[in-house]
Amino acid sequence: MGEFLSQYGFLIVTMVQAGLLGLSLYFPLQAGQLSLASPGFYAVGGYVAAILLTGPAFSGLRDSLGNGMFPLTWLAAALICGVLGVIVGVPALRLRGIYLALATIAFVEILRVVSLNLAITGGAIGIFGIPQAFGFQDRWQYIWLFGPLLVLTLLFARQLERSRVGRALRAIREDELAADAMGVPPTRYKVLAFVIGAVLAGIVGAMSAPFLNTWNAKQGTFDASIAILAFVLIGGSRNLWGPVVGGALLTAVPELLRFLADWRLVINGLVLVVASLYLPQGIVGALQRLRRTPPPQRPPSVAEVKGGTS
Amino acid sequence: MEVSQIIQNLLNGLAIGSVYAIFALGYTLVFSILGIINFAHGAVFTLGAYFTYTLVVGQFENNGLLKGINLFPNGSPLSGNPWVFALATLIGAVLAGLVAVLIERLAFRPMRARGADPLLALVSSLGVALVIVNLIQLLVGAEIYNFPSDAYGQVQPALSFHVGERVVIIRTVQVIIFAVSLVMLAVLGYVIGRTKVGKALRAVAENPGTASLLGISVDRFILITFFLSGFLGGLAGTLVGTAFGVAGPYFGVTYGLKGLAVIVLGGLGSIPGAVVGGLVIGLAEAFVPSQYSAYKDAVAFALLFVILLVRPQGLLGRAQIQKV
Repeated sequence: MGEFLSQYGFLIVTMVQAGLLGLSLYFPLQAGQLSLASPGFYAVGGYVAAILLTGPAFSGLRDSLGNGMFPLTWLAAALICGVLGVIVGVPALRLRGIYLALATIAFVEILRVVSLNLAITGGAIGIFGIPQAFGFQDRWQYIWLFGPLLVLTLLFARQLERSRVGRALRAIREDELAADAMGVPPTRYKVLAFVIGAVLAGIVGAMSAPFLNTWNAKQGTFDASIAILAFVLIGGSRNLWGPVVGGALLTAVPELLRFLADWRLVINGLVLVVASLYLPQGIVGALQRLRRTPPPQRPPSVAEVKGGTS
Repeated sequence: MEVSQIIQNLLNGLAIGSVYAIFALGYTLVFSILGIINFAHGAVFTLGAYFTYTLVVGQFENNGLLKGINLFPNGSPLSGNPWVFALATLIGAVLAGLVAVLIERLAFRPMRARGADPLLALVSSLGVALVIVNLIQLLVGAEIYNFPSDAYGQVQPALSFHVGERVVIIRTVQVIIFAVSLVMLAVLGYVIGRTKVGKALRAVAENPGTASLLGISVDRFILITFFLSGFLGGLAGTLVGTAFGVAGPYFGVTYGLKGLAVIVLGGLGSIPGAVVGGLVIGLAEAFVPSQYSAYKDAVAFALLFVILLVRPQGLLGRAQIQKV
């Protein structure tokens, strides 16, 4: 067991972490909002934690709080990402479909270039020597942080879906104008879902900074945006297990293909192509379909494709 | 800023902006027909540069499966002949176009046939980009190759003139980039605006269903669109490689993203919009003061963010009609 954990512990934690990032994109998607901003908030959360844990200005705080410093970094990351989420979300969520996706890509890229050039983020080198959370000796021990966060997030997501807010989000996803006409204010709910995703991504970032030991501008890139989108779409975008399954599987694929050596990244790309071609509902959607006959699928009309998935 | 500096920036901006424009045209053509963004376009851009490199230099000495291959044991036929280079650029762009056609057939058409969520096309085209970029790495290694930037060195003269005390210098390659882009735009404008093929393309873009009822083979015109898109992308790849003298597997990533900014700025699916967007972003980058040059890559995205908030349909785009 010890050997297994030391060999695969890092991978297992990374799989859970990927599932959490998938969920952070899943929340706005529940309201029909394709936001690719998660890596941006993830990066900000990580920087907040890295600065609090290594910055000379906070050394007094670290001395007096001890291990209490780590929960404080999560809280700080959640708060900052929440506020940033509102600031970005309120104007950006006026956009729909592909336009929102592109605006959030722009947000991630701007953050990346800025963090590459600021002194406080360590410039191109980034921040390193971030202390291990709670004095963990092994990387697998981070499962004690990411695991409970995943369980809490799933419970929260399930309660949200069953609540009034969840129904409002679904109504907006299906038809925003109709929802508006029925007295569901779309903007308020869209921003709420966006901010929930932002806060989650920020906390995951704050937990990941000690996990990875170092934090730099490579953590929040366009590639990450698309990778997280792939987690959700390949896993299944209509069920909260989809992002978790997709994140875990797509993180594991390159490792499982390790015997292919240099070819594994090529095969990884092919896996994405084949999965998106043959599992249009995602893996979880396909599994659900095996259990019951699905409602008839209406192919999207051209107008919808052009106008974006609103 | 001095007048000479302004003129210099203006000319630099026009040259790089015109490459952005023809690169972004490839995106916008596919978007106007299919309503999707082909994330593999940046990889096709990279491929174009590598095809040309193979045709004119033909040596992969560093790493990868093709290590040690030398297509031209008697020395490169390039040897200072700009016409050979121009021909290789053209063939490289055609090959990139054919790859784009292949991408359409393998990654997009099966999805369209099934009426799948257009979002999945994003993931599928990203998968294709991963395959292409990593195949390049496998074959020729991850190293950056020195692109023959002196290809047009023999073409005289690189322009330079005096403005007051200062000298404004325009490199030959910049003139060529600008000229090629203008020619491409004129040809494309003619094909789309005046020919039967262009009329059919516009009909498909407007409404594929109606177009196919009118006897237009939609699938064939989608293939043509992808070919044009890949051709323009590959051409831009070679031009940028020549201008900066380098090419590497991740060469296309930044351009892929800036291309998105360009087409949104101009208006998604708008051909004149892609041109205007490319020039605006090229000029804006050229005028970034040198002490802030580290932030240059953020300029395109800042512009994109601003335009989305102020005028989401882009500078020249048509307003989206709200569905009821």
